[in-house]
Amino acid sequence: MKNIEKYRNAFVEALEIEEDEVGEELVLGETSEWDSLGHMILISTMEEAFDVSLDSEWMSEFDSYQSGLKLLDRLGVDFINE
Amino acid sequence: MTFISIEFLLFFAVIVFAYYSIPHRWRWVLLLAASYSFYASLSGYFVFLLLTSTAFSYVTGILIEKQETKKQKKKVMLVGIGVLLFFLGWFKYFNFVNDSLRAISAYLNWNYTIPYQEIILPIAISFYTFQAVSYLVDIYRGKLKAERHYGYFSIYFAFFPQLVAGPIERAKKLLPQFKVEQTLKYENLSYGMKRIAWGFFKKTLIADRLAPIVASVYDNPDATGSQIVLATILFSVQLYADFSALSDIAIGCARMLGIKLTENFKQPHFATSIGDFWNRWHITFSTWLRDYIFVPLCKGKKKRSEIYVAIIITFLISGIWHGAAWSFVLWGLIHGFYRVFGDHTKQARGKMASFTYLDRNPTFHKWVKIAITFLLVCFSRVFFRSDSVTAAFTNAQLFLTPSSWRPSGIIDAFEIFSLLDLAIFAFFFVVMQLFHHVERKNASTWNWLSQRPVFARYAVYVLIVVSVLVFGATGQGFVYGGF
Repeated sequence: MKNIEKYRNAFVEALEIEEDEVGEELVLGETSEWDSLGHMILISTMEEAFDVSLDSEWMSEFDSYQSGLKLLDRLGVDFINE
Repeated sequence: MTFISIEFLLFFAVIVFAYYSIPHRWRWVLLLAASYSFYASLSGYFVFLLLTSTAFSYVTGILIEKQETKKQKKKVMLVGIGVLLFFLGWFKYFNFVNDSLRAISAYLNWNYTIPYQEIILPIAISFYTFQAVSYLVDIYRGKLKAERHYGYFSIYFAFFPQLVAGPIERAKKLLPQFKVEQTLKYENLSYGMKRIAWGFFKKTLIADRLAPIVASVYDNPDATGSQIVLATILFSVQLYADFSALSDIAIGCARMLGIKLTENFKQPHFATSIGDFWNRWHITFSTWLRDYIFVPLCKGKKKRSEIYVAIIITFLISGIWHGAAWSFVLWGLIHGFYRVFGDHTKQARGKMASFTYLDRNPTFHKWVKIAITFLLVCFSRVFFRSDSVTAAFTNAQLFLTPSSWRPSGIIDAFEIFSLLDLAIFAFFFVVMQLFHHVERKNASTWNWLSQRPVFARYAVYVLIVVSVLVFGATGQGFVYGGF
């Protein structure tokens, strides 16, 4: 499975939303599923999916679909040349 | 020497003068001497405990860094934290555990022979222990290098403006500020003095004026339900004024020395939910709990029910940190329950708001949420303020009795004030609310004020200073100074 698919699946699995709801417009706090508690579940799911460790500072940085991609990219997850 | 004293103001004026008069390379010596003198004046020989904890944390930090593997680093960190928590546990929780075990033994008819011990709680131990723990964990996580300059490290541990009751600062933020040469700036002196004056205002005109009135109800076994309701609401105002005043004075003093401390309050009684409340109340403590307790507990958790357990444990620790008594444990649990219940019923509450058309008027809806959150916080503070669990349950029952909320009963309950005290409190409470109102509309009331004509600006400053001098009540310690 490609990393971008893993990334999208993590949202579906953690936030219990439909696949077509996962997109660039997804922002923390703007849907009832992605609230502060849902965020903790999403972080755990991302950590397991990509074998990374996200501390509190990074967790606050991960506040949208887009910022999550950038953050994981910085942590070595390749979304382009895989 | 407490913050609210002429002695402290004179002491601080001398420190500020000396600080900007000597070369930067000697300033750490001055700050350290000032910090230890200040602490010794408050806590006497416990300054040796502070010195021991400082030396121990300094060495442990370097030892963590020197370990080669993550596993070894973790081991040293855990031993370090264990020792620091042992100090805290011994002084703060020994008698709590001892009394609880004795009560359990008596209930089970067991023989328990360890007597009550006369242990005095060293001032600020809960605060500097938390700073030390964050320092060691941050080194272990690789987010911070162990400080090698013992002088700067010691100031981080004992910086007198925030030593007694925070804000709980991270080494990453505070240490670099001590190392940078701070130049004398008018803006820093001016802003610092305003924050200190505002702290004095809240402490002497709101908190210390309310303290004896609240105590007259909570110390009275025959208090009526309406009196408990009124006293609890007043206690919430008192606690906010008291604790935020401490933070104002700490932030103001530090700013006069060129050091920026973290804001600790953002109008918590205007929170729209319990989660929001904890983002606004004792912020440096909440973020500490989030980073070092809650987030680690949530690692690998993928179900809401598991996150709920982490929330309850975090709030339980918050309660125990506040005080070694079961009433504080219950207070923590109540907030944990609020947070879990709030999350669990989020959708149902959304539907209810829609059903009652509340959501069609966002401003009114927001104020309803603010009122409900404030009342929930007030209810929890019955446990915070009561002297024992038995008293807390009695008071809580009175608080929840519908007849306690009868308007006529509440009006009668105002008898706990003398007419003069009521008038003085009402006036200064309105002033404080006006300050908050301006802050909600603008980022900072002080900036807003600085843009007003000179006459208006100085009228406000004079009002603050003269009010403190004429109407200020003193003699009460800070509530959070006891933690």
